[in-house]
Amino acid sequence: MSSTDLTGDATRRPFTGRRVRFGDVSLQAVAGAAAAAATLLVFLIAYKVVRGAQPAIVRYGIHFVTRVAWDPVKNVYGAGSFLFGTAVTSLVALAIAAPLAIGIALFLTELAPRRLRAPVTALVETLAAIPSVVIGLWGILVLGPILRDHVEPALHGALGFIPLFGAPSTTGSSIFTAVVVLTIMILPIVASISRELFLGVPRDLKEGALALGTTRWEMVRGVVFPYARGGIAAALILGLGRAVGEAIAVTQVIGGGVGIHWNLFATGDTLASKIAASYQGAQSNIQLSSLVYLGLILLVFSLVMNASAQVIVRRTARRHGAPRGAAG
Amino acid sequence: MKRTLALAAAVFATAAAAGTATAPAAHTGTSLVGAGSTFVAPLVAQWTPAVASAYGYELQYSPIGSGGGINAVTGRTVDFGASDAPLSPDQFTACKGCAQIPWALSATSVIYNLNGVKNLLHMDGPTLAKIFAGQISSWDDAAIKKLNPGVSLPSQKIAVVHRSDNSGTTFNFTDYLSSASPAWKSATGTGVAVNWPAGTGAKGSSGVAAAVGQTPGGIGYVDVAYAKANHLKFLAMKNRSGKFTTPGLRGILAAATSDQKPDGTNALSIVNPPKKYPLAYPISTYTYVIVPLQSSKAADLKKFLFWAVTKGQAFGPRLLFQPIPKSVLVVAEKTIKQIHS
Repeated sequence: MSSTDLTGDATRRPFTGRRVRFGDVSLQAVAGAAAAAATLLVFLIAYKVVRGAQPAIVRYGIHFVTRVAWDPVKNVYGAGSFLFGTAVTSLVALAIAAPLAIGIALFLTELAPRRLRAPVTALVETLAAIPSVVIGLWGILVLGPILRDHVEPALHGALGFIPLFGAPSTTGSSIFTAVVVLTIMILPIVASISRELFLGVPRDLKEGALALGTTRWEMVRGVVFPYARGGIAAALILGLGRAVGEAIAVTQVIGGGVGIHWNLFATGDTLASKIAASYQGAQSNIQLSSLVYLGLILLVFSLVMNASAQVIVRRTARRHGAPRGAAG
Repeated sequence: MKRTLALAAAVFATAAAAGTATAPAAHTGTSLVGAGSTFVAPLVAQWTPAVASAYGYELQYSPIGSGGGINAVTGRTVDFGASDAPLSPDQFTACKGCAQIPWALSATSVIYNLNGVKNLLHMDGPTLAKIFAGQISSWDDAAIKKLNPGVSLPSQKIAVVHRSDNSGTTFNFTDYLSSASPAWKSATGTGVAVNWPAGTGAKGSSGVAAAVGQTPGGIGYVDVAYAKANHLKFLAMKNRSGKFTTPGLRGILAAATSDQKPDGTNALSIVNPPKKYPLAYPISTYTYVIVPLQSSKAADLKKFLFWAVTKGQAFGPRLLFQPIPKSVLVVAEKTIKQIHS
C-alpha cells in the first residue's frame, strides 16, 4: 500500500518517517485553499442573495412566488409570470433539443462516414462556443423576423386550434423565439455529452448484438440506449440548467411582459431575463429586493437541478463502472 | 445590499470603460470619472476633448444607463453620475448627501415604421396613450385619421415597442402619457419602467429602433438625437395650444421656458406644458448630473461642472441639446458651489 502509493497518501501523513517535502505541503495548502474558497463563495453568495431578498420576503412572503404581477410604479411584485416563462421556455427548448441532440450524437458515433465525423463534431462543438449575446443579436435581426413572417403563420394556420399556436408575434420577439434560441444553445451541450456516452458503449456489446442478427436500429435501441440512459438524463438536466439560467440572449428576444398565456408567439419574461433587464437602475429598494428574490428562486431552482443531475450520474456510475457522463 | 449594488455597478462601469477605451492614456492631469445616461453620452463625448484642452482633465464617461449611473455614484465608485429621470426619494436617501443638477436639455421622439406614409405624421397625447395601451390597434383607426386629414393610412396592425430596461427615456415618455391621458395615469403611471399594458420590450434605444425598423406598423420612442442620427421617421406631437410641433431645438426651448424654477431637489418638469407655450414640443426633458456634495476631487469637479453648464452648452445644438436657460443655470451654479471637500 505504501511503497507504490502515488495517490498522495504520503502527504497526508508527512511525519511518518518521511522527509517533509515542501512541494507536497504547499500543493496541499494551495489546492485546499482553492477548494475552501469555492465552497465559501457558494455560501457567501447564498447568504447575500437571501439577505438582499429579505425585505421582499418579509413584505410579500411565500405568496410572491406564485403571484402574477410586476408593477414598479405601484410597487406590486410577484414571480408567477416569470416562473411560468422560465418553465415554458426551458422545457419546450429541451423537448425540441433532446431528440435532435441524440440524433446528432447517434449519427456521429454510429452512422456517419468516418471522414465526416471529426469535422462535424468540431462544428457542433463550435456552436457551443458562440457567445450568447451574439446568438441573441442574431435572434433579433435574423431569426425573429423569419419566425414571424414564415414559421409562426404556418404553425398558426395548420395547428391554430391548439392554444400554443395563437396569433403570430408582431415584432419577432416572442417566447417562441426565445425557445428556438435556447434550443440552439443547449443542443451542442447535450449532443456532445451524448456522443461521449455513445462512444463509451463497449464495442463487444454492440458487435455481439449485431452478430445476433439485430438491425442497426435494434442494436441502438437494445444496447446503446440502455447503456447510456442515465448519462443522457444527466446531460438533459445540464442542458435544462443552461436554458433556465440563460439571461442575455433571452432578454434580447423574448419581448418582456407580465402574464400567463398559452400562446407561444406572445411576449413574456423568464426569471433570468427579468433580472437582467431590470436590475440596473431600479427605482425603489423594494423593487431591488424583489429582483433579488427572483434571483433566490432561480438559485434554488438551479441547485435542485444540479443536485438531481449528480444523483443520476452517480446512480449510472454504480451500475456501469466508470462515470462518463456529465463531466464531458 | 447597497454595497453589493455599488460593486455590481462598479464592475459594469469598469467593463464598459474597458470596452470603450478611447480616451488617450498617459495624461498628467486629474481624471474625472462618470457613468450613467446614454441619452447624454453624445454630448459628454464632445466635452471630453474640450475639457482636456481647457483644464487638462481626463474625462472618463461610461454610458451604462441612467440607473447604472445612479448606482455607481451611490457607491461612490465614480465622481459623478448622470440620469435622465430625477432621483426617486429612495434613491436620494441611499445616495447620502448627493445633489442633482440639470445640465442638459433635449426631447424624446416617437418613431414609426409605415411604408409610404410621410414623416411627421400628426399625433396627440390621448391617442398615443391609447396606442400604447393597446386600445387602438390599427393605423387606419378613426382617431389617427382625424388627426391626419388627407393622409392615406394603411390598414396595418400597430406594433408597439417599448424599452425593456430601466430608462430615463421611458420616464420622460410615460410622464408625458400620464400628463396627457388620465386613463394612462391611473392604469399605468410614470416610471423608468412601468407595467406595460401592451407591446414588445427591447433593450436600449438601439434595440427599440431595430425592432421598429424591422416591423411594418411599428411604433416606439427614442431620444431625438438617436432618431435624427439614424434618419428615422418620427411623429409631430400636438401640444396643448393645439399646434403640431417637432422635437427640434425651437420646440425644446419653448418647452423649457415653461418651468424655470427647479424644485427643492433641482428637478424640473417640462412635459406637456400649458397652452401659453404654442411652440413647445410636449415630450421634452432635462437630464441631470448627480454628484456627492462632499468629494475628494471637489475643486476639479466644480471646475468641470461650471464649464459643462456654461461653455459646454455650446456643443449641444448640433446634437439637438438645447442650451439650458439662464434661470436654470443660476440654480445649477448655486448647487455646484456647495460641493466641498
